[in-house]
Amino acid sequence: MSTLAQYGLLLGLTVGTIGLVLSLYALARAIGKARTESGKDVPATAGQLSRDPVWVRYHARYYGYALLFLAFDMEMAYMYPWAVVYKQVGLVALLDMGVFLAILFLGLLYGWSQGALRRQ
Amino acid sequence: MTTAVLLLLLAFGAYLVAVLENWATSGRFQLATPAFSALALLGRESVLPRKPDRIFFEVAPTLLLISAVLAAAVIPLTPNLIITDLATGALFINAALVYVLVALIMAGWGPNGAYAMIGGWRFLGQLIAYAMLIVMPITAVVMRAESLLTTQIVVSQAGLWNIVYQPVGFVLFFIAAMALAFLPPFDLTTAKGELAGGVEAEYSGVRLAVFRLGRLVLIITLAAATVVFYLGGWQGPWLPPWAWSAIKILAVTAIMLLAGRYMPRIREANLLSWCWMFGIPLALLNIFLVGVLVLVFS
Repeated sequence: MSTLAQYGLLLGLTVGTIGLVLSLYALARAIGKARTESGKDVPATAGQLSRDPVWVRYHARYYGYALLFLAFDMEMAYMYPWAVVYKQVGLVALLDMGVFLAILFLGLLYGWSQGALRRQ
Repeated sequence: MTTAVLLLLLAFGAYLVAVLENWATSGRFQLATPAFSALALLGRESVLPRKPDRIFFEVAPTLLLISAVLAAAVIPLTPNLIITDLATGALFINAALVYVLVALIMAGWGPNGAYAMIGGWRFLGQLIAYAMLIVMPITAVVMRAESLLTTQIVVSQAGLWNIVYQPVGFVLFFIAAMALAFLPPFDLTTAKGELAGGVEAEYSGVRLAVFRLGRLVLIITLAAATVVFYLGGWQGPWLPPWAWSAIKILAVTAIMLLAGRYMPRIREANLLSWCWMFGIPLALLNIFLVGVLVLVFS
């Protein structure tokens, strides 16, 4: 199977899943509709609307981790192609990536020492 | 043809996960219960909460299901029984499963309810904890297999399964997979009794049924991925390949569901700090050790 056909198949799976969900919704709709009654559509907050709006800004207390996460996530993007050719390239690949990972790991240790690894 | 067979197997697997989950939570082994639950959910009203973000609210359950199904598409049960043997299979599993996060944040934001919103944002913090522990162990697996093809990864374990070759990676991946499927003790985002169901709180009726189906498919997909990456996939003596795949996947699922039953829910602050202080150094060490082993035994 060509690459294009493979991705076509995956697209087909996506469309098929959407179709399955829509047909389930249609089936449920055929069985009966939701009746509109007052108080039924209040979100689960002790039976009454919450006093404060929900869509506000929350304090992301894990932001120290999140910044480190960005660095590590970028690094992983480089590591997949490296991992595939690792055995062919041999010791040079281990040393190259070893230096790269050592720098990142030192970054992690530095962040740790500065208190990035705790909930702010 | 293969696709149809595998989708049927996936649906059957999801049903078995529901049976196992019922067994793990209520202690009763009943084969028919999930069918009755599904029928009951279909018959119930699916209430739309007041002033929702309608698009997010409707898309979330479907997106959860799609991401799990797409990840399952690159997982082989036997050398030929695979929907599509993508050249970037191991990476594609990651890429598909990231949409679990998107779906859960949509489900949190959509209904405009406080508990759901907190559950959704919690999962974002949870992603920052577990994501590296999914990606890094897979890198070490790929280093040994020299390929991102999932079938090739299984073949590379012919002599020795990865669970023996890189046990640290297996433990980290297993824990991270449980966190990704928000199974207890990592169910911070649904948190029954604390958030009243969290992201599931505002869903009812058929929408909840689709949401739960998505999660069941997600669990079996992750169990199958664990088997492919670490437990030698279809390999094993005496029995045919498909039987070994089925046995291993169901065993891993059962362990995943049972493991959380005897543990208290982990606080998010602890999850984050443990994953970053212990998990990521261990994952880096695992990559280094596998690197040395691959060079020594090549």
